[in-house]
Amino acid sequence: MKKLTNYLILSAVSLTMISCSKNDNNSVANNISLHFNNTFKNNTIVLGGVSNDATVNTSEMGQVHHLSELKYVVSNIRLVKADGTEIPYNVNDLDKGATVVNQAKPASLDYVLTNIPVGEYRQLKFGLGVKQEINTVDQVKFPAFYAAAGANDTDMMWQWATGYRFTKIEGFYGAENNAFKIHTGSTLNGTSGQPETYTQGVDAYRDITLDLTTTALVGNNAPKITIKANLDKLLSGKEKVALTAKNATTPSQHSSMEAMEIFVNNIGGNGKDDKSGMFSVESVENN
Amino acid sequence: MKTVICILSVLLIALSCSKGDMHESVEEDNPEISLQIPAGFPALNGSVAENRPTKYGVELGEKLFHEKRFSGNNTISCASCHNPSLAFSDGKQQAVGIYERVGLRNTPAVQNMAFMKFYNWDGNILQLEKQPLVPIITHEEMNSSILEVIGKIGVDADYKKLFQKAFGDASITADRIYRSIAQYEYTLISANSKYDRVIRNEGERLTAEEERGYTTFKSKCASCHGTELFTDQSFRNVGFPLNPNPEEAGRGRVTGRHADQMAFRVPSLRNAAYTAPYGSFGQFPTLRSVLDYFDKGVLEAENLDPILKENGNRIPLSEQEKQDIIAFIETLSDPTFLGK
Repeated sequence: MKKLTNYLILSAVSLTMISCSKNDNNSVANNISLHFNNTFKNNTIVLGGVSNDATVNTSEMGQVHHLSELKYVVSNIRLVKADGTEIPYNVNDLDKGATVVNQAKPASLDYVLTNIPVGEYRQLKFGLGVKQEINTVDQVKFPAFYAAAGANDTDMMWQWATGYRFTKIEGFYGAENNAFKIHTGSTLNGTSGQPETYTQGVDAYRDITLDLTTTALVGNNAPKITIKANLDKLLSGKEKVALTAKNATTPSQHSSMEAMEIFVNNIGGNGKDDKSGMFSVESVENN
Repeated sequence: MKTVICILSVLLIALSCSKGDMHESVEEDNPEISLQIPAGFPALNGSVAENRPTKYGVELGEKLFHEKRFSGNNTISCASCHNPSLAFSDGKQQAVGIYERVGLRNTPAVQNMAFMKFYNWDGNILQLEKQPLVPIITHEEMNSSILEVIGKIGVDADYKKLFQKAFGDASITADRIYRSIAQYEYTLISANSKYDRVIRNEGERLTAEEERGYTTFKSKCASCHGTELFTDQSFRNVGFPLNPNPEEAGRGRVTGRHADQMAFRVPSLRNAAYTAPYGSFGQFPTLRSVLDYFDKGVLEAENLDPILKENGNRIPLSEQEKQDIIAFIETLSDPTFLGK
């Protein structure tokens, strides 16, 4: 009987060992979840209409404003390991690698990257918008993203340009509570980021590079990275902008797309010396 | 049992063979259509070489052009706005699509597309194959989606046959839809007006009025409405009354350049007599009203076309000149193009 017990213990121990070692072998990958905290400076934005509890911000030029709608597309996500290796996350598949962040939908503020190889990550890269090569509203290729972007409450499409809207920022400004509507997107014919190839159009895609505040350890851990998008930059970024009837709707008969590019550079960076725009990493949690 | 299997396999082989043969013969029976390029016309858009019209490609494209199932509620086809009997325009100020929704702009005529470098009022499209998707998904036009369209026409045996004939197999894809419609449109060439017959010395002559109109036209209109297409395909702000829709920025919406703000593609004047009203949102009911406006003076703009700026923001025209110019423009009408 004692012998039997011994055997049982032995097998239990070996089983545990096997399962342990199996677990270790299994941890070739885990998730990273991204959380988008949309703020005015340090205050998380509350959306609102003309008169209610919306978060009010004052620009550097002294203009009060608040938002009623805030949406942007995040795609082309890449994670950079401590040794510099870049791990692309479904960068050519909008269904699996892109999302519409919508301040009105709390669930959309979290985006889980699955099956990220074990490792130490020090940098996060992503696109604000959709890179030119796949910026066609192609329902056949990417039905899920097409549906998400085209949904009536989202409408992140520019049908006339057969491309996606990259950002949709609407709200009210000034003492009169005048409406503003800043929509951005590419109308490009050419290769994004290579102006010599442009035959016509505007490149509104911006590649964002963010250093992580702490190394994100993917292993048995599934780190959570909180990204702050400080919408204060919209009017108070590199270029200080005051909203007027002439630029408060973009693109429009008043503003062409020149005003749009100023807003794009403020929130997405200019793609040259500013690669972060309104984005920064607020925290990395390695649970 | 063994015998049955043997027979079956023989049958299968025979079937697959005959299918293969059919496939081959289909391609042989779908010859390219050579485009008759009228004398003096500009070069073909480079995309034509990548998508040569074929007999069945064009037949399919034409059928699709008239396909109302392109719209969400099966009421609007391409031809609903691009009406063949109005030189593929619609006679309305702004396009009217599904549920009577009014679009941003005036429907442009579909003609001589193979020779155009830019499509639409703002030239946002450079390849005709990229255009058909736009109305399909636009809220004010067809309000549908390409998968919805494929789903609807995919159950139609006639279409399966036509896709087979046009492309070698029956599969209905988005790309094939776009390509066949473009092929059809490439064949819509209008160059058989009185003007053309006069130029070609086919025995007709301009009347004295038309002749005077032609002379005035050459000095006062042809710097924009040049070439045998009667457009130089440039984009210009000519100070026309502004579309009240705040989304309108003209070509500025595409290029982002301030210089292109409220600039529009110079429209071809071929078949202009059939394509009223005029202007990017149908501001002008008649050709006469366009000429009166130019004569009276246009809106000031920073990027107003230099030719207008140099002439005090107007094109001065006498009563006689207006009548003559209109008489000349009417010689650009090609009745054989109507109802094509």
